[in-house]
Amino acid sequence: VSQGAHPPPLLFCLPTVTSEQIEHLHRRFKQLSRDQLTIRKENFDSIPDLEFNPIRGKIVHAFFDKRNLRQESDGLADEINFEDFLTIMSYFRPIEMNMDEEQLDRFRKEKLKFLFHMYDSDHDGKITLQEYRNVVEELLSGNPHLEKDSARSIADGAMMEAASICVGQMGPDQVYEGITFEDFLKMWQGIDIETKMHVRFLNMETIAHCY
Amino acid sequence: RLPFPSQGIIERDETPMEKEIKRLHQVDFEFSDIFYFCRKGFEAIVEDEVTQRFSSEELVSWNLLTRTNINFHYVSLRLTILWVIGVVVRYCFLLPLRFTLAAIGITSMIVGTTMVGQLPNSSLKNYLSEVVHLTCSRILVRALSGTIRYHNKENKPQKGGICVANHTSPIDAIILTNDGCYAMVGQVHGGLMGVIQRATVKACPHVWFERSEIKDRHLVTKRLREHVMDKSKLPILIFPEGTCINNTSVMMFKKGSFEIGGTIYPVAIKYDPQFGDAFWNSSKYNIVSYLLRIMTSWAIVCDVWYLPAMVREEGEDAVQFANRVRSAIARQGGLTELPWDGGLKRAKVKDTFKEEQQKNYSKMLVRNGSIG
Repeated sequence: VSQGAHPPPLLFCLPTVTSEQIEHLHRRFKQLSRDQLTIRKENFDSIPDLEFNPIRGKIVHAFFDKRNLRQESDGLADEINFEDFLTIMSYFRPIEMNMDEEQLDRFRKEKLKFLFHMYDSDHDGKITLQEYRNVVEELLSGNPHLEKDSARSIADGAMMEAASICVGQMGPDQVYEGITFEDFLKMWQGIDIETKMHVRFLNMETIAHCY
Repeated sequence: RLPFPSQGIIERDETPMEKEIKRLHQVDFEFSDIFYFCRKGFEAIVEDEVTQRFSSEELVSWNLLTRTNINFHYVSLRLTILWVIGVVVRYCFLLPLRFTLAAIGITSMIVGTTMVGQLPNSSLKNYLSEVVHLTCSRILVRALSGTIRYHNKENKPQKGGICVANHTSPIDAIILTNDGCYAMVGQVHGGLMGVIQRATVKACPHVWFERSEIKDRHLVTKRLREHVMDKSKLPILIFPEGTCINNTSVMMFKKGSFEIGGTIYPVAIKYDPQFGDAFWNSSKYNIVSYLLRIMTSWAIVCDVWYLPAMVREEGEDAVQFANRVRSAIARQGGLTELPWDGGLKRAKVKDTFKEEQQKNYSKMLVRNGSIG
């Protein structure tokens, strides 16, 4: 069924993804990279559906963020290969039934870390008010009817909420530096994100192909 | 809104944005909205509706024609037996029947139009010519087991106009003439086609060009313009792509048709691939083998949409006008638009839809009282 080179051997373990799914992703990778071995930021421009997305920039950015690629260094990569592509896609794995407590916890932390990196654009480990404002502005970008101030006040309101959850009551002189990853985890305690942040592959057998 | 369902490889949550974001708003701040857009973004990256539709011509379930099965594979005895029965039915029963019908249709066309052609020019002649053309078209459509659904008949092309449609196969013309009378435009051929052309032009002013005349673009435009000027003449039928396309996309329209002037009546034709592949790949099959394949398919099922008339606007050149018409046809037929450089472009509708999405989203934020 598949033509062309087989996908390169994986250096890390992806127990939950079947080889069929990897083949699909590889085909998609080849499509995006136009048959090259690596993808650059520009290659994501060829996805018309992605254009709709207000946080398109952040999503594409996430693919090249070295923190997400589990690389030692920091900053942005210029190009990624198929293995990196799979690494990023693995953040969106759906939950498995047979996961134990520890695995589930790690799973959840990974997804939240991915999200945290999206907000923390200067890579300093904190989401500051300015960074949060940037995200809200992006979410509302392209709408000419909304004023800049509205985006600001949304961001400010949200940060205050976050501060009250993380630090509790603050004194009048206290300044809230920014949301660290621990605070971020605290905010999401008890809320089920694992089922919202995944992309589920259709079971190939259920599609009645007469091959 | 696509006429046919598209199967994908990932499960897509079709909950509308409002519902989904309301669900996520258990915590009262906008971090959760990021989830929604993040997931949508990843879904788009894994599988893009446009590219997928364009690249996969595979049917979800096999329709028992080997030609549509790209990797023919022995699956089970029962399936093979079914397939053999299918072959017998198609080749031994349907094919002779259709061939006979086609022969009757073509003969009637030639004989009928020659007879009508003997009459002096009058409204009676025009009326009879229309009757002959329509009847023979209908016989030919039956010969292909064609099931055609016409939509928006109120927009049917009027006299003195130009009808423009996307091109998938030589039978497009028959599909359209089944429902109305047109003046055909084309090159003079030899053989059987030539005989038909010479006969029909006696009854009805079709525009047939000699090979040498086609090269002279001004001559072609002049003749067509003369035809269009005469408001009593039937609308011309033109396929501006110039070549057959595989019915999932609309390629660049040649601007010549749009320089003639007059009113353009766009028509979108979309075939249902489940019953038979109507696309003529002229580099792979000649006309005879193509017709054989068509006549041994299960049926030709298609939808025809008549779109509202368009005219060239002030300050619009032929190319822009051509693109505008092409967008309208592509949108209606659920086809993608494909400029020559192979990149994928979408109609203007997308921009406004994108703004709509974002407007909706910000409306929701405002409504939720996030803004004081």
